[in-house]
Amino acid sequence: MEVMRHASTFLLPPSSPPTGDGPAITYALVVLNQRLPRFAPLLWSRAQLRVCADGGANRIFDGMPELFPDQDPLDVRLRYKPDVIKGDMDSIRADVKEFYSNLEVKIVDESYDQDTTDLHKCIAFICSSTPDPEKSNLCILILGALGGRFDHEVGNINVLYRFSNIRIILLSDDCLIYLLPKTHRHEIHIQSSVEGPHCGLIPAGAPSTSTTTTGLQWDLTDMGMSFGGLISTSNIVRGAKVTVQSDSDLLWTISIRKTN
Amino acid sequence: MPELFPDQDPLDVRLRYKPDVIKGDMDSIRADVKEFYSNLEVKIVDESYDQDTTDLHKCIAFICSSTPDPEKSNLCILILGALGGRFDHEVGNINVLYRFSNIRIILLSDDCLIYLLPKTHRHEIHIQSSVEGPHCGLIPAGAPSTSTTTTGLQWDLTDMGMSFGGLISTSNIVRGAKVTVQSDSDLLWTISIRKTN
Repeated sequence: MEVMRHASTFLLPPSSPPTGDGPAITYALVVLNQRLPRFAPLLWSRAQLRVCADGGANRIFDGMPELFPDQDPLDVRLRYKPDVIKGDMDSIRADVKEFYSNLEVKIVDESYDQDTTDLHKCIAFICSSTPDPEKSNLCILILGALGGRFDHEVGNINVLYRFSNIRIILLSDDCLIYLLPKTHRHEIHIQSSVEGPHCGLIPAGAPSTSTTTTGLQWDLTDMGMSFGGLISTSNIVRGAKVTVQSDSDLLWTISIRKTN
Repeated sequence: MPELFPDQDPLDVRLRYKPDVIKGDMDSIRADVKEFYSNLEVKIVDESYDQDTTDLHKCIAFICSSTPDPEKSNLCILILGALGGRFDHEVGNINVLYRFSNIRIILLSDDCLIYLLPKTHRHEIHIQSSVEGPHCGLIPAGAPSTSTTTTGLQWDLTDMGMSFGGLISTSNIVRGAKVTVQSDSDLLWTISIRKTN
């Protein structure tokens, strides 16, 4: 079984030396309509394509100046200008829409399509903007994915399953989540200066008959997991590397450290 | 609690809102808080020896054991602060709904509530539209559903399959006073809580 390698190096300060192994990852950023996490500017600087999902534009407009209180708000807004704003446009404020429109930000109203969420539309756009050979090096970072209404959160998580061939990472202030497809054996290289130690493995959507891990405080050995039974929550990362192999797609979640 | 009654004396408020029990592994409760409630003779139960279940699981088990069997069917446990924060905590809280599926348990946050609709029953949800809705959803969290049928929703399901990777009913809208749900799989029902009454 092929190994899939994961490392949250995008959370490291920009001055960090490159990890050196594997091809360079291209990042895209999607901003959803939740309060910006404190590391939003760092992830913005990592990304080559920045998309706001509808009300996410409000959050960039209001939130980026708040993260740079000593700087002129207009300067900050010009510096953190999204490439595209996309969605059904029922949350973006009129003044925000006008501001970015004047900056010739591409604003795409897709309110005719009620079958997919704004996030789904944004991810589909990023995928269609990425040539096929580059898709395996693409990683989409989603800000504001958790919190708020639970059905929104579940819709965001479902996007990980619906685009399971693309690396997508959901981020909040407290933690990150991504999919570990059952088709691969997974190596998660822990960046302990910025993440951990709290972690979990979640069989969302279908039970797992057999999951085996290494590198956790409470490792699983050929263990079944399901809602109603065991789910690996409140686990602890024990070392520099965690490995996971399972007969079911699992969600990996790890806490993000508050201070570096 | 004192913050929610800013015009009242904090001590009066704290005496009025005195818990019956504080239970868990005690790694989060502040020393001054523990002392305050201990002096009021609140039962403080340290269960840090048990690392296999979450604090919430322990509390629910305690409530169930304190409730005589005939009264269990009339019992409803309301959980405050169940969502947000660390995702693995949230999932652990949701799993408690599945592990105690014979007890009515409702997870609450500022924005919404969640409870389990066991597949063993046909469900009638009487919407209290002054305080909840209209945003709602049905989620097959633990296992796919081959067939779910609803009435009363903007986008009703008719013998529809739902799964992660496929269709999940999110961003749905409650259409009337009553929603009915019947499914071959346990589902989570979630509905938004209105900000102002």
